[in-house]
Amino acid sequence: MKLKHGAKAALAVAAAAALVVGLTQPASANTRSTVVIVDSNVFTSLNASTPDHNLVLNNNIAYMTGIGFNYYDNRPVLVPNTTFGTYKIISRTPTFKVKYTVNKGRVWSDGTPITGVDLLLTHVTSSNQYSIDAGLGDPDDLKKKPAFDSLGYSGTYTSLIKGITLAPDRQSVVLEYSKFFPDWELYAPGVSPVHALVALAEGKTKLGTNSNNVANKNKFLNAFNSKNTELLTKIAKVWSTGYNLKEVNEKTNPLLLVGNGAMMVESVVKDQRVTLKLNPKYNSGPKMSGIEKIVFVTISDPTAAAQALANKEVDFYDAIATADSVAALKKINGIKIDGTTQAVYEHVEVRSGAADGGKPYNGPFAGMTQRAKDLRQAFLLAYPRQEIVDKIIKPVNPKAVVMNSLQYFPAEPNYSKMIAASGMDMYTEGTQDQRTAKALALVKKYFPDAKAGSGSVKVKMLFGAPSNTRRAAQAALVKAELAKAGFDVDVTPTAGWSAFLADSAFDAQFYAWQKTSLTQVGNFSSYKSVNSDTGYKNARVDAIIDELEVGNYSDAERYSRYLEIEKIMAEDAVSIPIFQWPGVTAYNENLKGVDPSPLSPTGLWNFWSWKY
Amino acid sequence: MFTKKKSSAEAGVETSILNKETEGLSQGQIVRKRFLQHKGAMIAVFTLFSIVIFVFSALKIKIGPWTYPGWWKYTIEDLPELALDGCSGGLVGCPTLSLRPTWLGGAGIQLGEHPFGQDDIGRDYFALVMRGAQRSIMVTVIIGFIGGVIGTVVGAIAGFYRGAVDSILMRFTDFIITVPSIIIGSVIGYHFGNLGVSFLALYLGLFAWTGLSRLVRGEFLTLREREFVDAARVAGATNRRIIFKHILPNAVGIIIVSVTLLMSGAILLETALSYLGFGVVAPDVSLGSLISQYQESFTTRPWLFWYPGIFIIAIALCINFIGDGLRDAFDPRQRRRITRKDRQSARVAKKARAHA
Amino acid sequence: MFAFIMRRLGTLGVILFGSSFLLYNLAAFSGDPVAELRTSTDPEAPAQIAALTRSLQLDVPPPLRYFIWLKGVFGVFVGKFDLGQTRASEPVNVAVFEAIPTTLRLVTTAVIVAIVLGIAIGIITALRQYSRFDYSMTFVSFLLFSLPIFWVAVLLKQFMAIEFNNWLAEPSIAPRALATIAGIIGLIVASAVGGERKKFWKVFGITSVGTALTLTLLLEINWFLQPALGPVGYFAASVGAAILITQLSVGLGHKPSLRAALAMAVLGLAFYYPVNWLFERDKQPLIIFGLLLVTIACAFGASFYFAKIDRGPVVRTAILTGILSGLLMILDKLMRTWEPYFKTDAVNGRPVPTIGQSKALLDSGDYWITLLDILMHLVLPTIALTAISFAGYIRFSRGTMLEVLNQDYIRTARAKGLNERTVIMRHAFRNTMIPLTTIIVVDFAGILGGAIITERVFGWTGMGTLFNTAINSFDLNLLMGVFFLTATMALLANLVADLLYSVMDPRIRVGAGK
Repeated sequence: MKLKHGAKAALAVAAAAALVVGLTQPASANTRSTVVIVDSNVFTSLNASTPDHNLVLNNNIAYMTGIGFNYYDNRPVLVPNTTFGTYKIISRTPTFKVKYTVNKGRVWSDGTPITGVDLLLTHVTSSNQYSIDAGLGDPDDLKKKPAFDSLGYSGTYTSLIKGITLAPDRQSVVLEYSKFFPDWELYAPGVSPVHALVALAEGKTKLGTNSNNVANKNKFLNAFNSKNTELLTKIAKVWSTGYNLKEVNEKTNPLLLVGNGAMMVESVVKDQRVTLKLNPKYNSGPKMSGIEKIVFVTISDPTAAAQALANKEVDFYDAIATADSVAALKKINGIKIDGTTQAVYEHVEVRSGAADGGKPYNGPFAGMTQRAKDLRQAFLLAYPRQEIVDKIIKPVNPKAVVMNSLQYFPAEPNYSKMIAASGMDMYTEGTQDQRTAKALALVKKYFPDAKAGSGSVKVKMLFGAPSNTRRAAQAALVKAELAKAGFDVDVTPTAGWSAFLADSAFDAQFYAWQKTSLTQVGNFSSYKSVNSDTGYKNARVDAIIDELEVGNYSDAERYSRYLEIEKIMAEDAVSIPIFQWPGVTAYNENLKGVDPSPLSPTGLWNFWSWKY
Repeated sequence: MFTKKKSSAEAGVETSILNKETEGLSQGQIVRKRFLQHKGAMIAVFTLFSIVIFVFSALKIKIGPWTYPGWWKYTIEDLPELALDGCSGGLVGCPTLSLRPTWLGGAGIQLGEHPFGQDDIGRDYFALVMRGAQRSIMVTVIIGFIGGVIGTVVGAIAGFYRGAVDSILMRFTDFIITVPSIIIGSVIGYHFGNLGVSFLALYLGLFAWTGLSRLVRGEFLTLREREFVDAARVAGATNRRIIFKHILPNAVGIIIVSVTLLMSGAILLETALSYLGFGVVAPDVSLGSLISQYQESFTTRPWLFWYPGIFIIAIALCINFIGDGLRDAFDPRQRRRITRKDRQSARVAKKARAHA
Repeated sequence: MFAFIMRRLGTLGVILFGSSFLLYNLAAFSGDPVAELRTSTDPEAPAQIAALTRSLQLDVPPPLRYFIWLKGVFGVFVGKFDLGQTRASEPVNVAVFEAIPTTLRLVTTAVIVAIVLGIAIGIITALRQYSRFDYSMTFVSFLLFSLPIFWVAVLLKQFMAIEFNNWLAEPSIAPRALATIAGIIGLIVASAVGGERKKFWKVFGITSVGTALTLTLLLEINWFLQPALGPVGYFAASVGAAILITQLSVGLGHKPSLRAALAMAVLGLAFYYPVNWLFERDKQPLIIFGLLLVTIACAFGASFYFAKIDRGPVVRTAILTGILSGLLMILDKLMRTWEPYFKTDAVNGRPVPTIGQSKALLDSGDYWITLLDILMHLVLPTIALTAISFAGYIRFSRGTMLEVLNQDYIRTARAKGLNERTVIMRHAFRNTMIPLTTIIVVDFAGILGGAIITERVFGWTGMGTLFNTAINSFDLNLLMGVFFLTATMALLANLVADLLYSVMDPRIRVGAGK
């Protein structure tokens, strides 16, 4: 009632105002230059290379604020970034050498030129030997962290790379490997603003002048060459902890924000959002196409994210792909959806023995006897992969197929050649009913009274995340189909399942492998005897994997090795893939140029091509 | 709004009606009579009873060698073919329940093959909802029982004996209050796998009694100072007799209200835990796990979201209404509402008396 | 009393030690902090697992690790309180203390609204026990109480944000919808007013027709896009407030109070334009605080002018009226900010947000636009939290009120001829508040623990989110930090509740051992 009076009074004013407003309505389309992206994490650090901060959102921000010699595109192929620099092999024997050259004229966001000196820090944060020599601590020490709390230590870099040298013109560095290494391209040195690091280590809080910066660069170079423990330790402190910020505002030290990517951090509101703005001096990579601001907002609930998209509060969402989320997103007006596939595949593994250091395994599948092999084969034959794909994956990705190669995804060129030759077709032959009948026959060899529902072979299955409905549904299908072949599968989900992967209490397990980079050894390193969680030990497979880890092979040579492993593994019936994970990217339909990649950072990889 | 004032004559009428109502009845009879007169509570009792019978008789149950067939054709283990067509908008597994008669242009009143539809892999959703409702009712009853018993006992002992006993019990209560039950849930889930829904309810019950015990203790602290307790003590009643015969009946109202709130809260607690991934886990289902699992379906396959939701609401509502009725019935000083009819008949009677 | 409190604080320490030790070990055994790395095909994964093991000290058995953590806590005695670092390398102290304001912002309004509304409705239903209103409120409150919050959130977002924003693009109401809305509002008001059947229908008729007309008019003048009270509406509202407050606090019969309250309303109108001018200036929080002081001063002035003796209740009434009309003034200002807010680039014609604490792109220096933005982000979470929590208050206050109304002292009060308002407000209401207060204290401590699910579905990052993050990422330090605060608050609140109870109800004695 009260409002009515107010309304009456406002009538005259409002009517006049409405008239004015109607005449001066601003034209609002096409001027947009901001993309708001949903992310389920919170931002914790500008340096994603420490163990505690290697999180998706940190990596995405790092991807946008810094660029180096190469990146993955959506095929996915490692693409050299020739705007920034070039690299080539300069020697193969006796040691393997690669020269990396930064193009002249590339600059940091504070205007300082990028040189070869900026490539040296990678060596400090990746080589155990350098860390020890420079008095920065032994990264393998289990008690004490090294000065640089880096993820890069103790891996391939440490074992293969002998050293790094700066060329006299100071625009190039040469990386020296002790022998040929097939995945050398992945180990291109990263670029770090060492002048800013030195300034930060000295406690500066303002951007330096050009001469300062050049001087700082030299200081770093001297410290690097002379292994100056004192300065390096100070830098290490900044590198390891100084970049850990939950908030960025005008009070933040600008030295921390120096980068060479297309975007730079403008502000971070703690646990809520990160705002990136254009880097005005950017010239290290592909040109931006019109986006001026990118905002990452943290929304952890998928329904909430979809509704925010529907309410036009966000523009870009790499959704969790479920049938309902896709259908719900499709219903939203003004949203475009790209169905994609991720570089992740679901697979089932059958235990054949104990993992290294595990308790002995005596279940039905133990060992390499004919009986164990037959039972494993029966288990995999009756595994309803087609039904899983039809019922669970097709509603999300109508083009989905059962995956049959451990190495190649269905879209890859070698895939069909591989599955025709690897013997995996044993598991796709005929209908599921026929395969299940075959499986039952195999079981009957050892359990004469086996029949559908007899539960002759008891199998305990490990699978993850009780709240993951996709997994629960798979388990239900598996239980039902395998019962027809005389198996009794215990499909109680296990919380914290990943810790039990090597546990001999489980006879079989299904989960997903995630591919994060394209290496020559491919997806097989986890089947090496020392690594295998399910106790798979095959000398020939080990030997091939060893070759793949160091050999210099052509595509065909690589293929033949993959094929041999897949053949052996199909024969031994220890693991078969099920499907490739579908992905969904939903975004404002006015946003052009989005073309998601299966590898991280998935939809964001080509943010420079986006425009409205 | 507060100016309505009863004339003293009317107040007199009320008293006479009141007395007539409880004349010559034992406490138990009064409670029963009052409860039966509480319309809301009676409807709730009837509804809840029907729901329980309906839900528990629907599915096949196996207890040892004995198998109860259940009146519904599917169980949650069955995997019937997923009905891929017959739905509008390219959806699969939509419900076949139809309540619109043919003469109104509908498909006629019928259940069809899958009245509540099917889930992603074709399981009958009606069976899932029935199983979920069974689980949720079990959770509710177990939590209500365990929480109610522990809370009442602890609160009663602490409030009655006071002193050191009180201190120890109440500090123990504080201790329990501080331990978040989610953590316990995740530890159990991690180390013992899925121990089933009764175990979940059991341990939740072990942590759910703290509020109740504080309330009961407060009530006992007040009641033990009252004259009738002194009188009983002077008359030589034992502590046990005082607790059970004198104080407890007076505190029963507050206990019942709290227990019903606890029980309806338990359904929601289980739902919340399922949403966070610490509740009932697959392959078993509860109403809470169904509704949180299918919250994304809200705009696409709403039936997956609505049917369990309706059951949650119906059960929680019934429990609350029953609690309400019990509370009113147990309150010894509570007056029943004086209806217009009562007033009229009393007036007539008075007039008649005056004329006589 | 002092000894009692000290003893309780002492045991509090012991309890905290015990439960933190228990919790730490339980949590440490509850999961796998390096889960994600175990399923990566990355050849570097084992090295990364080792690095994490080192940085989280996973090689130290949990019972010993607990004491490492405890050492930091005891640092409080040497002025170096340290709860460790989260896995995101943030000091836990900072994380927790920064989350508290967010949580408070999220839940305070909801809790206050729930308490006020719950108690008001609870008391009215008690006074009208078994009336139509009682039954329908009981039903509605139980219904709301039975809803899972994430479900409420999904529905609210769909209908009150997404659909409403769509509707705002072209505001119009179909005749059928209009009739339905009017009918529902009419029903609610009519059953709240109560009375004989004839009166019920009369009230229903007036309200629903009134609602329909108002809505039509509001649509006609485009009020939903350009809302405002205006001076006239403002004055009418503050006179209404004056009358309501006077009635509740001393009764309309008390002329000096009524006059003072009405005077405050008139003063409000007189200052309408000057205050609005002030609202446009810089440093708004300071100005508003100044205005509050002026209001109180005016209230004192008015009371001294209109009342010669017994000024206490008059001052109270005048101050309350003054503050309420001040709030109305702010409401009016916010309403007039609606349109500019609506038109900003960030809002872009969709003013009701579904997520977050503020708009990411809103880059406005204007105090009112920023304030409105914050308030708009509070709308949905507050409704959701209020809806599910006020049922409890309704039930408790109704029950207590019924009990109190049957006490002898109420009968005595009535018998000595006090009017019903005095009996209810002074005798019954105050006694009803005794048990309610203790419940409220404990509840307030509980909410500091955060509304885990609410925060999650509305994208807020308060204590609930910290707790959830801690559990899901097996961040022990963070978990213990959150626990430390919530457990301490819960224990303190229980202590305070016990003390309050004994202060308010002299029959209870604390610490009376024998």
